[in-house]
Amino acid sequence: MLSVIALAVVASTPLLLCVEGELVVQRSGMINLGVEGMLLAAAFGASIGGVSGAVAAAVFVAFLFGLFTIVLDADQIVTGTALNLLVLGGTSLAYREMQSRTAQPIRLDLITPVAWIVAPIVLAVLLWSTTTGLRLRAAGEDPNAMRAARWSPARYRWMALAIEAVLVGLAGTHLALAQSNGFAENMSAGRGFIALSVVIFGRWSVRGSIAGTALFGIAAALQYALQAANQGIAFHLLLATPYVVTLLILCGVTGRVRAPEALGKSLR
Amino acid sequence: MGPTTRAMLSLRGITKSFGATRAADDVTFSVGSGEIVGLIGENGAGKTTLMRIVAGEMAADSGEIVAPPRIGMVHQHFALVSHFSIAENLALASERDFRFVSSHRLEREAETTIRESGIDLPDVSRRASDLSVGERAKLELIKAVTSDPELLILDEPTSVLTPIECAGLFRLMRRLAASGTTIVFISHKIPEVMEVAERLVVMRRGEVVADTSAPGLTADEIAETMVGGVDAGFSRQRESKPRTPAPPLLAIVGVAGNGQRELAETLRGANTAFIPEDRANALIAEMTIAENIALRNGRRGARERAERLIESYRIKATGPGQLAGTLSGGNQQKVVLARELDRRPKLLIASEPTRGLDIEATRFVHEQLRRAADDGAEVLLITSDLGEAFKLADAIQVIYRGKLSPRMSREEAATRVAKLMAGIA
Amino acid sequence: MKRALVAAAASAASLALLAFVAATFGHSPLLVLRTLFEGSIGSSFAIEGTLTKSVPLLLTGLSVVIAFRAGAWNIGAEGQFIAGAIAALLASRFGNVAAILAAAIAGAAWASIASLMRLWRNAPEVLTTILLNFIAIHLLGWCVNGPLREASGQYPQSDPASSSLPAIGSVYVGVPLSIVIAVAMWWLLYRTTEGLRLRATGFNAGAARYAGINTGWQLFRAMAISGAVAGIGGAFELLGVTHRLFERFAAGYGYSGIAVALLGQLHPLANIASALFFAALTTGAGELQRSAGISSAIATLGQAMAILVVIAVSWRRRNA
Repeated sequence: MLSVIALAVVASTPLLLCVEGELVVQRSGMINLGVEGMLLAAAFGASIGGVSGAVAAAVFVAFLFGLFTIVLDADQIVTGTALNLLVLGGTSLAYREMQSRTAQPIRLDLITPVAWIVAPIVLAVLLWSTTTGLRLRAAGEDPNAMRAARWSPARYRWMALAIEAVLVGLAGTHLALAQSNGFAENMSAGRGFIALSVVIFGRWSVRGSIAGTALFGIAAALQYALQAANQGIAFHLLLATPYVVTLLILCGVTGRVRAPEALGKSLR
Repeated sequence: MGPTTRAMLSLRGITKSFGATRAADDVTFSVGSGEIVGLIGENGAGKTTLMRIVAGEMAADSGEIVAPPRIGMVHQHFALVSHFSIAENLALASERDFRFVSSHRLEREAETTIRESGIDLPDVSRRASDLSVGERAKLELIKAVTSDPELLILDEPTSVLTPIECAGLFRLMRRLAASGTTIVFISHKIPEVMEVAERLVVMRRGEVVADTSAPGLTADEIAETMVGGVDAGFSRQRESKPRTPAPPLLAIVGVAGNGQRELAETLRGANTAFIPEDRANALIAEMTIAENIALRNGRRGARERAERLIESYRIKATGPGQLAGTLSGGNQQKVVLARELDRRPKLLIASEPTRGLDIEATRFVHEQLRRAADDGAEVLLITSDLGEAFKLADAIQVIYRGKLSPRMSREEAATRVAKLMAGIA
Repeated sequence: MKRALVAAAASAASLALLAFVAATFGHSPLLVLRTLFEGSIGSSFAIEGTLTKSVPLLLTGLSVVIAFRAGAWNIGAEGQFIAGAIAALLASRFGNVAAILAAAIAGAAWASIASLMRLWRNAPEVLTTILLNFIAIHLLGWCVNGPLREASGQYPQSDPASSSLPAIGSVYVGVPLSIVIAVAMWWLLYRTTEGLRLRATGFNAGAARYAGINTGWQLFRAMAISGAVAGIGGAFELLGVTHRLFERFAAGYGYSGIAVALLGQLHPLANIASALFFAALTTGAGELQRSAGISSAIATLGQAMAILVVIAVSWRRRNA
């Protein structure tokens, strides 16, 4: 059992980093469906240029998302979807063409402790114990009230995107260089979308994000145990359970839950 | 302004137009340091526009302003983040830098700020959404006061306060004034303004029509100047019809914000014809005239019906296929009227049906409301335009702070309505 | 007409961008474009492939359009597609009609979970439909590994459906039927009172309420129709193309549907064209991979670029 948990923790590191990034972005009022593409881009970037390549790729995707949704005021859902397709198509194409120049795999996994210990503390402090975090959350609650206090909500949304890009960059690095030997097509495999679910499951809090990731991660890790025990049928239902729970959470069945008020809303 | 005080705010010939309406028309007055001035008038008289110009939120078309650099303005619509605590809302408004703050420390600082402001607002960990409207108004006021403004503009701060809360607010205003803050207090409630302000400036249709720094005006006289035109409307009355128990056309008059919207919402049933005050959402701009009409009546024969209604309601349009959003305001209102009246409703609620319309369109809307009533519908006209009420209604009731006065005949109303609207009767 | 131009320009621009991308990797852009062209509409075989591919794209696209017109984002077309396919498989022993009907009902029901949660609990359908996608995917995984696994038990897939859709000539009947559905959706939206009220709700819910429309109930019906159309898509794909269910049966169709809907300017008839364009791009890209060794992922890239061009252009129009 212990080994299952250890396996789950390491295997869910990229997921957790995505959850943390998406948490910050959603707190600032955006639903970034493109986190899936951002992770895939980061994994691709990592396979070429290590951590810096990964972060650069994630920043690029975050920049496009901000450009379309904050500057051009395009719909966040549409933009996120388009960016996912863009990255999926782009990386698959480029991967075939570039004949995998793979960066060195990571020997010592420093990203896992960062994801599970350092980042949660930093984010919790930033969001709930600094004036900057207060304003970032205000951008996600009520951009008009924020403007009335002479702040620019757009600036804080950009800041949130930048934080997400760094975290997802680390996630991509872990995925491509710690868990595998380089890039593979569509290797993000839906983790970005799962991250979106975990943010809801965790009720837009840091603690909830960790708990949610652990639950989703353990459910995923158990499938191997169940498969090994020749109980292969049940694990699909097991995998569905966290989503059912998340759905119930979203409906407030398990008590009060509230998305940031301005989540998904444009700034105009 | 008294001879001993220095002018803190002075306006000369301020003019501002929105399309054809003049929100401010050659406004000139000045306010001395430490003075409390009540700026009163009906909704739409131009008070808020004028003060937004002063606060620099809006530019005047012409005129000169001399205003101090630090101006605090409390808006009629609160700018609070509803899921933030009192402490967080205060920090959002006043903190300008990055620093670490635990929520505990934020709350202690908020308590200090509040204590210094002299306003009583306990338990700063409560969320803005859990506060009463009165408490929210206090929080807005605290936000404005903490920046230590030289000029404080309060836009209808009492409209949501209980009498006790009002008294507290007035004490605070006097204290601020005594320490040199100039206060402009926008309101439409004469008794309150008279209680706290040393001086009253009355606006009507963008113009300053009275200023009590020229002394000797009584409350009654101010009420008359504020609403204006009652006598004129009354003298043009139609021949009165015999009274029926339920008058076919009943007008509910009152200054906006006294519960009219809530009243309309409660009375609105599924089969009530409704002409909303919310003009921007009355029609679907992206749809054609015919489609908007068909929303009620169905698509069958919609085009023919639309053509007939365009004809009989004299709607200026290229045809049933014109997009509703491209029509003028008056013609949009005619489309709404046509759609709602064509169903021959039993009950029609019209809320501010002529606000913003030109004379011709206004006359047309009045004719149609009257005709609907004569044809047997019950018409409820909710309006802040007294002239309109007196011209059309068979009976009048006044709404003030959510309460309705007894039903009055027009003759009876003529003598009492201004005071009832201002809350001094 | 202007909007048709925008869509055409976006399609052309996406092709040009693809050629440019291919050129940066050292391929002849002309060869790429010619292969895309020939591989998708250059032979009757290619055309059949394109038409077949267009069916799920068109139906998931229509699903997105209907919900969008009522003011909701249905990102759950993939889940509804799966729900429809599972229902169709179960009902297929009663014939095609029963299978398609069952699929429509299942798709509608799956979508209604999201709309009910919105109406009762104000849960945003953007989030609930994504969650419902995952649940459907895992449900499908469970089905093809468990109760619906083929009798031989060899692969994680179902036995073939008991009925299958016939072909007209060499094209299976799903192709004309999906176009009929697109026309029906156009008729519903633009020629019926129901459609008028549905669009009114999407344009301006406040004004719709003033006109006496029960906007919540209207949204519920729109989501049900939206889900039904996606469900029928699942049935067509199962009964006409794959005949079996397997884990990756619906991979990505929900998101491609959003792309189709957007390039189709959220109009049902224009969706036929955009579904055909994306289908052609997909089959053409398959040929490109076989003959020139360029990844077929280029089709996905093309979808993305078309959407981004549409967004950018509509922004310019709004701010002109």
